[in-house]
Amino acid sequence: MSTTLLTGSEAAAYGAKLARIEVLAYYPITPAFPAMERVSKFIDDGDLKTRFVRVESDHSALAAALGASLAGSRTFTVTNSQGLLYMTEVVYHTAGLRQPVVMAVANRALSAPHSRFPEQGDAISQGASGWIQLFCENNQEVLDNMLQAFKIAETVRLPVMVNYEGYIQSHTLEEVEIPNQEKIDQFLPLNRVRTLDVDNPQGVNTVASPEFYMDYKFRQNEAMEQALTVICSVASDYAKEFGRDWSGLIETYQMEDAEHAFVAMGSMISDARIVVDELREKGQKIGLVKVRTWRPFPAEALREALKNVQLVTVCDKNIVYGLGGALGTEVKSALYGQTVRINSYVLGLGGRDVTTEEIKQVLELSEKTEKQTTASEWFGL
Amino acid sequence: MALSIADLPKEDLFGPGHAGCGGCGAAVAGRQAMKALGSRTIVTIPASCMATLGGSNLKTTWQSPFYHTLFEMAPAVSSGIRAALEAQGIEDVNVVSWAGDAGTADIGFQSLTGAAERNEHMIHVCYDNEMYMNTGGQTGSQTPMYAITSNMTKGKTIKKKNMLAIMEAHGIDYVASASIAYPLDLIAKFKKAIEKPGFSYIHILAPCHRGWQIPPEKTIEFARLAVESGLFELYEVEDGNRTRNYEPPFIPVENYLLPQGRFKNLTQEAIQGIQTSVNKHYGRGE
Repeated sequence: MSTTLLTGSEAAAYGAKLARIEVLAYYPITPAFPAMERVSKFIDDGDLKTRFVRVESDHSALAAALGASLAGSRTFTVTNSQGLLYMTEVVYHTAGLRQPVVMAVANRALSAPHSRFPEQGDAISQGASGWIQLFCENNQEVLDNMLQAFKIAETVRLPVMVNYEGYIQSHTLEEVEIPNQEKIDQFLPLNRVRTLDVDNPQGVNTVASPEFYMDYKFRQNEAMEQALTVICSVASDYAKEFGRDWSGLIETYQMEDAEHAFVAMGSMISDARIVVDELREKGQKIGLVKVRTWRPFPAEALREALKNVQLVTVCDKNIVYGLGGALGTEVKSALYGQTVRINSYVLGLGGRDVTTEEIKQVLELSEKTEKQTTASEWFGL
Repeated sequence: MALSIADLPKEDLFGPGHAGCGGCGAAVAGRQAMKALGSRTIVTIPASCMATLGGSNLKTTWQSPFYHTLFEMAPAVSSGIRAALEAQGIEDVNVVSWAGDAGTADIGFQSLTGAAERNEHMIHVCYDNEMYMNTGGQTGSQTPMYAITSNMTKGKTIKKKNMLAIMEAHGIDYVASASIAYPLDLIAKFKKAIEKPGFSYIHILAPCHRGWQIPPEKTIEFARLAVESGLFELYEVEDGNRTRNYEPPFIPVENYLLPQGRFKNLTQEAIQGIQTSVNKHYGRGE
């Protein structure tokens, strides 16, 4: 175990290294590329025995990762924004084939207009794809979630996205503790499954007629539901082994007697902790709910966490056009039937700053807003 | 020594019970190629007739692993499979991506050129029936000039893209054309490709009688006429050396073209133009 300064990209790369990935496939995109470059450097320096497939596009990156996974290797890729959209077809396909590929996503705004700055709209666009999605609040969690991602993926046979925001996390140095390799090997043994195997030939993705298709989809969704439990047990096993508990689906902070809850995911969380502490000192009964697992959506856990509050303020760094912030919409859906005020805000799109100051202002605004007249209010225009 | 039928395995790894039309050229190509490739082969097939006629639901005719991929990604998937096999120290498995003309030359071209440029240890096969037959027969880049298709009912007005020349330009280990009417030549080429450490490209002319509007029992005959007329040359390129594998008798091109329903609008002037072109350009990939 050693502590060092790492960017989010490097933390993801160290995660891939500790997981002893066998195949890496990627196509460079900003701001995800430093993670890929770091893994390549591990390979070039002889620190990692991984086959690197230098594909010609993001679509082929996930295709190659998928092929490697089907042939039984632990595989990893990295992308964001346009790259993620370009590979979308393969994103859905990989989940349908139940392959445990892990992908780091350095969340970035989507074109148009062109932007290379952070927001979570790229990951949100894949919300129906069948991938498990974890959001990280800091670089330590990026590394830890990478390792948990492989464990979760290989247990429920579904692919996992590890999300961290471009620049805010991907390019920012933080202290990160790197776990011991031997302990990781024990935590994450490779359970090799060869779907494409000359010694056990089978047809993969044969045409499924209406008598079959729906049943495959039922099983796929069942695996997603199973993941709700597995994500929690993996988080708690990891905490026992490595001393860091990121909780499973959601984490509650200062929620015991809270009347007002702030709900968000990603980099906003670490700032929100500071805000909550400050407001608590002033006597406000405020708490924080961090959504760590976005897919499968932790509706039950959120209902439990928010059952005693009077006001819920949800912040989204994304917009689903004509609907509102994605998390806000789903929190409302999860709390259907409970008598609680829910205010939803869209903010921070395309890299617009969200600091502790903005979070304080949103919370204040929300307390003054008796009833929102729109699905989500835009903050910081 | 030349290959003979007696040298071929009796076992069929692809064929019996397939769901293709009677007289399907693609299925014949698959059966012939698997004689050379053998059971220690992983085949990836993007969207195409070939991806569906080998199996559906819980049944398959493939006796070796096959994977029906998305349309534009078979060479990329195969690259990943090869990487995984190498990572696991498995060296005795052939990796093949097997696409139609669309999955090779059009929608699939990006991943193909990528895998070829990397000189991946794999074989890409284009089974070329010169139109998009799995969607009912539309025009693509491999459709020859003048051919009538379901979306160009007056015939295509531009030439077929020369995929063999394009793949040769990648400087890969092996490039070959093949025809289902010359099975021993086709099988010998697959045997050669297996031995290469890098990328091989094999382009097979595999007529589709529905698209070409010929009788189903004449699939092989038209595949042969294409070669005999000089419109489809059998050759291979190894280490930059080009070898012609068959000297055609140069029967008149109209003997090949006119009986096909898809060329029913051909004028005498057009036929003359094609004949002149064959006489002038044969063997130069033009």
